[in-house]
Amino acid sequence: MIKFKDVTKRFGDVVALEKVSFEVEKGKFVFITGASGAGKTTILKLILGEILADSGEVVVDGVSVAGIAERDLPAFRQKIGTVFQDFKILPERTVRENVEVALAVIGLPQDSWTERVKHVCNLVGLEKQIDLFPSQLSGGELQRTSLARGLAVNPKILLADEPTGNLDWPTGDSIMQIFEKISKEGKTIIMATHNQEIVKKHKKQVIHLEGGKIK
Amino acid sequence: MSNIHFKTASSYIRRSPFQALAAIFVLTLTFFVATLVSILTYSSAKVVRYFETRPQVIAFLKDGTGSEAVAALQNKLTSDERVKEVKYVSKEEALSIYKKATSDNPLLGELVNPTIFPASLEFSVEDLSFAQSIIDEVKSDPVVDSVGFTAALGGESDLKNVVGRLRTVTTYIRVGGAVFTGILALASFMVILFTISMRMTARREEVEILNLIGATKKFIRSPIVIEALIYTVCGVFIGWVVAFISVLYSAPGVLSYFGEIPVLPRNSLDLLQIFGIILGVELVFGFILAYSGSALALSRAKKAR
Repeated sequence: MIKFKDVTKRFGDVVALEKVSFEVEKGKFVFITGASGAGKTTILKLILGEILADSGEVVVDGVSVAGIAERDLPAFRQKIGTVFQDFKILPERTVRENVEVALAVIGLPQDSWTERVKHVCNLVGLEKQIDLFPSQLSGGELQRTSLARGLAVNPKILLADEPTGNLDWPTGDSIMQIFEKISKEGKTIIMATHNQEIVKKHKKQVIHLEGGKIK
Repeated sequence: MSNIHFKTASSYIRRSPFQALAAIFVLTLTFFVATLVSILTYSSAKVVRYFETRPQVIAFLKDGTGSEAVAALQNKLTSDERVKEVKYVSKEEALSIYKKATSDNPLLGELVNPTIFPASLEFSVEDLSFAQSIIDEVKSDPVVDSVGFTAALGGESDLKNVVGRLRTVTTYIRVGGAVFTGILALASFMVILFTISMRMTARREEVEILNLIGATKKFIRSPIVIEALIYTVCGVFIGWVVAFISVLYSAPGVLSYFGEIPVLPRNSLDLLQIFGIILGVELVFGFILAYSGSALALSRAKKAR
């Protein structure tokens, strides 16, 4: 599903990733671990096509990311759900509208939005907060909103960048339960985290990075 | 789908109402002036046209010309496409016109009798440029004694001067109006550009999020373009309505001042039709203005991988 072949990425003189190679099979739940600056987020950005590798190749769902034309990038990203540490929720929109935006992006007919929004909000436990604005939500609820938006488009791959990084342990744990549930539905999940307790609790494939290299 | 873009655009406007008001105000001013300039151009063209076609050529007939010969010349002129409104003026009618013209001094009218006034054929030309050739042709007709222009405008050279001056004034109105409208249009374009650029700066995070979830450029741009279109459509309508009301309000006075010169249509439907055409043209121009302004602002905010 996702393949990194000798991928190197530099930001100026800083080497973010150096000859990184790994493979993630379809339907797998993989943790990318490491300290801050180890290159976890860089891997996610490379998968999403947000940045391009200096050398090596990133292949997602059989497609080389470097070969995707600018105009085809949105369609490629629509197959990938994303969850971020800082939530990246549209502040002027309710939970419902945040999810609806994702549905509008993929061009889903408007008459099927209500059902889909209800489904994903139930899945992440946001049925009561559906018409609230981000300013009225807790950190955990914001992360659930981000997750609901990522899931709404029914992605093949779900990328999560430190989804529990800003949450306390019980809230983070409840978010992890949702990821477990999603994983069982057969989605490929790649989660960047530095939280070793989570990694230990959920026994999954781990790619550990140190200074931009896999250890 | 367009519903969500419209909703987004509306929320942008609600979030910064003063910015929106400033944009709408400048656009309103632009289209108000554009509407007035259009009407002035129309009116000045009508004035020129009036004076161009106004000159009545008078073919004075020789005494004793028979009615058949007069009818033959009248028919010949009527069938000429360069000529319009051919009218026969008898000696008695000529006297009547003279008496009317000298009504403030009745003695002048009493001292003359119809025999001193020649009968004539009066007509106007479709275009002033035809006048000389028609005069030459009419002069050569055996029943015509002499040919002249109507006394109201003086001689041939005076008429040309009057029309020449009117043409110059019309050109000034057109060019001056176009330049002034152009400057205002440029100001409107810059206002749209700045407003949208500021909006893009404020929306940077939102654009980034939309990019990450796979939104196309069109999806991201649509609310921005819709916002610019809302400003422009508001500006066009308000500017047009204010100009329309101003013209309607001043129309009776203007029409009364210009008398028989049709500076504005006297029929309400015709006036409405002219304003309808102006509105249509302004809407098209407004769409171009909004689209180009927002497209330029968006292209400046473009971010490469």
